[in-house]
Amino acid sequence: MPTYNFKSIQVVPPAKDFIDIVLSKTQRQTPTVVHNGWQITRIRSFYMRKVKHTQTTWHDKLTQILDDFPKVEDIHPFYGDLLNVLYDRDHYKLALGQLNTARNLIDKLAQDYIRLVKYGDSLYRCKELKRAALGRMCTLMKKQDASLKYLEQVRQHMSRLPSIDPAGRSLLLCGYPNVGKSSLMNRLTRADVEVQPYAFTTKALYVGHLDYKYLRWQVLDTPGILDRPLEERNTIEMQSVTALAHLRASVLYLVDVSEQCGYTLAQQAALFHSIKPLFTGKPVIVVANKVDARPLDNLGPEEQALMQGMASEAARASGADPADCLMSMSALSETGIAEVKTAACERLLAHRVEAKVAGKRITDVLNRMHVALPKPRAGAAKPRPPVIPPGVAEARARRDAGEKRRTERDAQEEAGGAGVYSADMRKQYDLKDPAWRYDIMPEIFEGHNIADFVDPDIDAKLAELEREEEELAAAHDAEMAALAEGVEELGSDEEADLAAIRKKKKELVTAHRIRKAAAGNRPVMPAKHGSRGDKTVGRMRESLGALGIDTSAAEARLRSESRGRKRARSAARGGEGGDSEMADADGGAAGGAPAKKRVHSSKSRSMSRGRALSTAPPTPSSGLKDAAQRNKAVKMADRGQRLRNKAARAGEGDRVIQTKMPKHLFSGKRGMGKTDRR
Amino acid sequence: MRIDKCWFCSSAIYPGHGITFVRNDATAFKFCRSKCHKNFKMKRNPRKVRWTKAYRKLAGKELAEDATFEMERRRNRPEKYDRELVKKTVQAVEKISGIRKKRQDRHHERRMARAKAGQVAQDKAALEQQIHLIRAPASLRAKAKDAPAKEKVKVAAEQRAGDAMQE
Repeated sequence: MPTYNFKSIQVVPPAKDFIDIVLSKTQRQTPTVVHNGWQITRIRSFYMRKVKHTQTTWHDKLTQILDDFPKVEDIHPFYGDLLNVLYDRDHYKLALGQLNTARNLIDKLAQDYIRLVKYGDSLYRCKELKRAALGRMCTLMKKQDASLKYLEQVRQHMSRLPSIDPAGRSLLLCGYPNVGKSSLMNRLTRADVEVQPYAFTTKALYVGHLDYKYLRWQVLDTPGILDRPLEERNTIEMQSVTALAHLRASVLYLVDVSEQCGYTLAQQAALFHSIKPLFTGKPVIVVANKVDARPLDNLGPEEQALMQGMASEAARASGADPADCLMSMSALSETGIAEVKTAACERLLAHRVEAKVAGKRITDVLNRMHVALPKPRAGAAKPRPPVIPPGVAEARARRDAGEKRRTERDAQEEAGGAGVYSADMRKQYDLKDPAWRYDIMPEIFEGHNIADFVDPDIDAKLAELEREEEELAAAHDAEMAALAEGVEELGSDEEADLAAIRKKKKELVTAHRIRKAAAGNRPVMPAKHGSRGDKTVGRMRESLGALGIDTSAAEARLRSESRGRKRARSAARGGEGGDSEMADADGGAAGGAPAKKRVHSSKSRSMSRGRALSTAPPTPSSGLKDAAQRNKAVKMADRGQRLRNKAARAGEGDRVIQTKMPKHLFSGKRGMGKTDRR
Repeated sequence: MRIDKCWFCSSAIYPGHGITFVRNDATAFKFCRSKCHKNFKMKRNPRKVRWTKAYRKLAGKELAEDATFEMERRRNRPEKYDRELVKKTVQAVEKISGIRKKRQDRHHERRMARAKAGQVAQDKAALEQQIHLIRAPASLRAKAKDAPAKEKVKVAAEQRAGDAMQE
C-alpha cells in the first residue's frame, strides 16, 4: 500500500539557480584545460564531453523533479481531487508537462550540437559550438521559470499536507463553521487544533489519531461548509467536500443545537440535505453539539422534526436504525463524547466487515476453507472402552489388594543393611536356562578370544568351512603338481657355469668400485704409463685362454713384429757431449755433428710466419682423417672453452640497463630476506 | 579380559602387557611393546614397515583374506550367554585355527614353489646372456663348429626377389 508522504520531494530551484547549479557542475566535473596544439579529435571529444555532461545533468535533474511529483492519475482519487482543489490540476499538469518538454528539447539539442562538434575543425569553432549549445539549454530553462516557481510552491504546500491514509479507518467531522468540529477533535485526540469563536478558523484538513479496540483510527477535522451550490464553494470548503466524497469514513455531522454559531437549525438541516448525496454508503451520525447550552429536550416541535428528519436521512444513507443516528454531546462539558466515539467506531467497523463480506475476496477465502463434521459410525451402539492389558490389570488388582512387591532394598535391610549387603547382580539374569546364571564363561583359549568366535549358527558355518577346506586342499595339490612339472632344473655343468659367471661378475664389480672410489681424488694416470707392465704376452695368454681363445697365432704375430733388443749406446756418439761448450763457443759450425737449427736473426724471426695449422697434416695416431677434420676438432674445442655470454651483452661497450626498476624487485611487502632476491 | 592386537605389528597382546595410547578423539591405540610404540610415534606407516603383519599381508607374503579370519572377529553386539553355544564355540576354535594353520602352510608352499620356478628361469636367462664373461664368443663358435646341431639352408637373395616379382 503506498503511503502518501509528500515530504520527500526535493527542492525545485528557480530557473536562475538551476542554471547556475548545472553549469557549475559541468565546470567542476569535466576537464578544464584544453590546448590548441592538441589533436583535433582530442579537442572535439573535450567539448563533446562538456555538452554531453551538461545535457545529462539537466536530464537527471528534470527527471528527478518529474518522478518526485505525484501523477494525478496514479494517486488515490482523494488526493487527486485534493490536488485539483488546492493547486488546480490543469496548472499542475501543465507545469510538469512543460518540464518534460524542456527535457526532451534539451536532449535533442545536445544531440544536434554533439553532431556539429564532431565536424568542428578547430578549437575555436568547437568552443563556440559548445557555448551555443549550453546557451540554448540555459535559455530554454530560463523560460521555465514560472513553472519551476509554481512547482516549488506546490512542493512546499504538499510537504505540509497531513498524511492521511485514504484506506484506513477514519472518523470524519463535518458541519457548518463554528459548530464545534475542532473542539470535538481536540477532545477525541491529542491533536491541538486551533479553536476560535469565528467562522473558518480551520482552513485545511487536520488529522488526529486515537486508539479504539487496539486499532489505530484517524480523525479528520474538516473546514466548515456553507450551504450553497458546488460551483460557488471556495477552496477551503472544497477540501471538506473532497474528503467527504472520497474517504470511506464514519461521518459525524455536527449540529449546533444552541445556534450560537450564527446559523439556525433549519439552515444546518438544509445543508445536511444538500450534501446528503455524499453520505450514501457511509455510516453517518448526526451529532447534536452544545447540549450544555441548550438540551435537546428544550427544542421546539419544529426543531425536533428537523432533527428527526436529519436522523432518518442519515439512517437511510447508511442503512441503519434512525434512533442510532442521532446522538447528543457537549464538547465543552465533555458529556456524551465517549458514546459518540464508540458508536461511530463500531458502526464503521461493522460497515467495513459488511463491505468485505459483500466483496469478491470473501469467496476466495471460503473456497479454501473446509470444516469437517464427522458423523457417528453406523455401529455406534457398541461401546469402545479403553483397553488395559490383562497383566497390567492383574498387577493393579494386587496393588489395590495391599500386596507389596519385595524389592532389593528389603533384601538389603534383612541382610545387615547398606555397606554389608552386596547385591547379587546375576540373580536377575535372563537366560534360556536359569541354571546357567552362575556359569563362568571362559574368555581366552589357545591365544584366541572366545567371544570373537561366538555365533548362533556356528555349526553351519563350521560345516561349510570344512567342506571348503577339502576342496581347497585338492585344488592345492593339483596346482603344486603342475608347478613342479613345469620347472626344469639346471644340470651340474650349468650350475658350475652359473657359479663362475657370478664370481666373475663380482670381481668386475669390485674392480670397478675400486676404480670409481679412487677416481674422484687422484690424478688419472695415462694408460700407456700405468699399465705398461701388465700387458705381457703371458698375461694375454692367461686371460684369453681362460675365455677359451687360442692365442698362439696372436703371439706369433707379435713376436714377428717386435724389434730385437737395441744395441747399447756407443761411446763415439756419447763423447760429443763432453765438449759441447766448446762447440757452442765456436758458433756451432765446428765439429762433425750437423747443426740442428738455424739461428735466426731477430728481424728474420719476427718476419717469419709459422706454418699454418690448417696445412699441417694430423699426426697419424690422433684418429683424425685429414687437416680439415683436425681444424674442425680444434674449433669445436675452442668453442667449448669459450666463456658463455651470460649477461647477454652485445659487446664490451654494452652497459645498457633494460629495466631500471624491475617490478618484482620493488613491489609488495618485504618480509624476510634480501631486497634483490624476491 | 581379552587378547588384543597390536596396532602396529598385529601381534597378540596378552593382559598385563604393552601400552595403550588414547588420542584426544577417544581412539585407543594398543601396542605390544615399546618398539611398536616408538615406531608409531615416529609416524611410520605399518603397511610400509617390512616386519609388520600389515606389510606381509599387503605384499602377499601371508594369507590375507580367508573365511577363517571372517569367523574370528570382534562382535559389537554381544550374544546372550548360552552354555551349549559356548561349548560348541570352544570346540570350533580348535578346528578353525587348525584349518587356518593348514591354509597358511599351503599359501607358503605355493609361494615358495612359484619363487623357485622364477629363480630357475632367471638362472637360465643369466646363463644365456652372460656366458661371455667366462667363455669368449669365438670359443663358443668354435665349439659349435665342432658339433653342428642343425643344417642351415641358404636361399639366394635374387631367387627370393624373383618370387616376389611373380606375385
